[in-house]
Amino acid sequence: MGAEGADVLVAMIKVYRFDPEDGRGARYDEFEVDAAPGRTVLDLLHDIHYNEDPTLSFRRSCQSAICGSCAMNVNGRTGLTCSTQAKPLLDRDGYLVVEPMKNMPILKDLVVDMDGFWESVHDVDPFLQAGRKVPKGPYIVPKARMELLKIAQDCIMCGSCLSECTSREANPDYLGPAALAKAYRFVADERDEARHGRLMVYSEANGIWDCDTCLYCNEVCPIHVKPMDAIMRMREMSIEAGIQSQGSKHAIAFYDTILKSGKLNEFATANKSLGLKGMVAQSGVATKIILHWKTPEIRKKPIEGVKDVTKLANLIERKKRRGTRR
Amino acid sequence: MNRYDVLVLGGGLAGAMAARAASAAGADVAVVSKLHPLRSHTVAAAGGINAALAEGDSWEGHAFDTIKGSDYLADQDSVEIVCREAAAAVVEMDHLGTPFSRDEAGKLFNRPFGGHGLPRAYFAGDRTGLSLMQTAWEQLVANEITVYNEWAGTSLIVEEGRFAGLIAYNVADGRLDEFQAKAVVICTGPGGQMYGKTTNAVTCTGDGLAMALRAGGALKDMEFVQFHPTSLHGPNILITEAARGEGGIMKNAKGERFMERYSPKMLDMAPRDIVSRAIQTEANEGRAYPEGYVDLDLTHLGAERIRERLPEVHEFAVNFAGVDPAEKPIPIEPAQHYIMGGIATDNQGATNVPGIYAAGECACVSLHGANRLGGNALLECIVFGKLAGSAAAEFAQKHAQVEGGAAALSTDDRRIDGLMASEGTERVERIRQELKRVMWERVGIYRNDSDMTLAVGAVEDLQRRYANVRVGAKNTKFNYALLEAMELRNLLDLAEVIAKCALIRQESRGAHARTDYPKRNDASWLKHSLAWLRGDRVEITYEPVRITKWEPKERTY
Repeated sequence: MGAEGADVLVAMIKVYRFDPEDGRGARYDEFEVDAAPGRTVLDLLHDIHYNEDPTLSFRRSCQSAICGSCAMNVNGRTGLTCSTQAKPLLDRDGYLVVEPMKNMPILKDLVVDMDGFWESVHDVDPFLQAGRKVPKGPYIVPKARMELLKIAQDCIMCGSCLSECTSREANPDYLGPAALAKAYRFVADERDEARHGRLMVYSEANGIWDCDTCLYCNEVCPIHVKPMDAIMRMREMSIEAGIQSQGSKHAIAFYDTILKSGKLNEFATANKSLGLKGMVAQSGVATKIILHWKTPEIRKKPIEGVKDVTKLANLIERKKRRGTRR
Repeated sequence: MNRYDVLVLGGGLAGAMAARAASAAGADVAVVSKLHPLRSHTVAAAGGINAALAEGDSWEGHAFDTIKGSDYLADQDSVEIVCREAAAAVVEMDHLGTPFSRDEAGKLFNRPFGGHGLPRAYFAGDRTGLSLMQTAWEQLVANEITVYNEWAGTSLIVEEGRFAGLIAYNVADGRLDEFQAKAVVICTGPGGQMYGKTTNAVTCTGDGLAMALRAGGALKDMEFVQFHPTSLHGPNILITEAARGEGGIMKNAKGERFMERYSPKMLDMAPRDIVSRAIQTEANEGRAYPEGYVDLDLTHLGAERIRERLPEVHEFAVNFAGVDPAEKPIPIEPAQHYIMGGIATDNQGATNVPGIYAAGECACVSLHGANRLGGNALLECIVFGKLAGSAAAEFAQKHAQVEGGAAALSTDDRRIDGLMASEGTERVERIRQELKRVMWERVGIYRNDSDMTLAVGAVEDLQRRYANVRVGAKNTKFNYALLEAMELRNLLDLAEVIAKCALIRQESRGAHARTDYPKRNDASWLKHSLAWLRGDRVEITYEPVRITKWEPKERTY
């Protein structure tokens, strides 16, 4: 593959190394590799493993971006090494550094412990829960409604999204983008009859409302799954389904205050989403805010043109209702 | 040590379906798999799964096409089972959640596949294998079936002529362990890594086939190796047959639609063996591009249809070849893709060793005979995976556990210790590359006596060199260098079987094309080969093909 003789492009690559048994701790090793056009980062790692240092460990299998084994962090961004070309990265950054995925414990070199990743996926009950109305033949599901799954169905569980997930970094119990994309795949599938129950569970702590919408998952997904879009759709669905959760209350309260004044009323929002008890629990935060002179004005004067805000909101509402009817 | 009723070795589509079936039959089941099930090679299957579900189609039509495609080497009773069960299998997977592509009205779409008289391949975009695998894995989770991920099987334990257990190597910590069970279903999938050009994953090293051979099982029809016509030139990534099913056309370097010469009726949709030979002939006669590839032209389909029906093809062409298939043809060349042969089983997946079952690509029932039709492999995994899982569970209910296994464990332990301690002069990678070259050049698309005689000698020589191999890494955790050394032993033993079976079969049938015996010879060769290990030697015997109602005829398209 890649260079056959003539077009060799000698480059240096830095590779993260760690063997829990050798007592040397983590380090980086440098190797001279051939990064000719067309050669993938995985090709370079294979060259090292086969020809220079067989102790280098990394997972890989299909080499065609479909098995999800070879996700690693390359020049600071997680992706499949088998479909990541080396030369464009060298041209862009002037260097090549390969490290293991983030948000997962490192076991050996570029191999991470994915148990936590899989546990999260298992936690969303990732299997179809059919009702009693199973037809004799295949289900009749019009193309357009089957295509609701599209933003999630091709997930190959490589872990790239979780590696980049800022919410998971802050909260290790957060289910994370891959698990929630999997969850959405069933919520959006009309063959599944547990939709309401699923949305209730996913609305609990560490679920859909814990995403901080940084969008990294959508960006890094090597197979163009859109976990964040999936999470946002589930938020909408849970509100439409009238599911009460701190997240949905917060979103509704947020929306209401904007409609009223065109501005965010932090106090009213917190009051509505957390309730009195929650507010008391947040008193520490409140104290800090006051001490830092960051107190927001409690009574919001409506902004100029608040009527336009209301009009816009009504327009969106109407459009959405038409959309759901169709 | 771990104890179960039934073990399933390999967590791909066949394995997951076998485990589910065995569990449903009441057995205590565990899957032992070198890769997490979702990493298995099933996910690379792209185009579709066949079933006679459409109006005007019949299971008999599907069966006839399969038998004709097999060049009449398939066992027709086995083909009948699969084709009768196909519709139910597709419907079942739909009920379990596979997101099959549908039309506006909500009915399942189908598309034409090579060698089929009617369009009968059902699909989920061009990620059908991935979608079916997801569904099968979801069922492992739903049924709380234990999966030992990243455990590579090393030996099947046979005591008193019966299966007694399995020895497996834990990649994470470098230890061997024994799994006791009353029955095992081997579902380890492909073994194409002995070929220089292959669409198989690097992990497809035929481990289960080699283990079954050493445990006293027979390998059936191993000389029949499928070369897929359309792999991406260079990295040999599979460009699904669906690309032609959706209307893609192959052209040589002169811009000629060369399939007109080889299959005037079916053209680009002829079976894979015929299309691969056509490309190879174009190359041999100087009408391909100098690097040996030809064009697969999808430009007339338009960007939208390519994006909707062939998103993966689009992705592969852009990412791996730098070609937008809506604008320029994709450079393609044949590559090893599938092994029609495998562990000989009956229609329930049982081998000749009581307690050992097999299903999926590593098994040979025989459904595919001398050439497999596209869309039949995923189907085989589901139908025979389920049958073998149920049969294994039933066997486990009727039989007591055979004790023993300590000896097998210590033999494997010694073998691995020996590999780790060896200061030999041979390198795993050198032997592997030479094996790939020999098999590609001498037991490839076109074969002849002198090439294959050389290949047999070369493989035996590589086996001798393997005895002097040194493993370059001595650590215990995730020591892939050691795993690759173990895999290489399996590849070498299978290559020997393939080369020897191919050398002996003096005819051309399906994918086994000999320039020195260019005709099919039913009088002498309408029979299956069975390779056995007797001591250290491979012995080959033959058995008749089971014919029900389709008498062998000349195979033209």
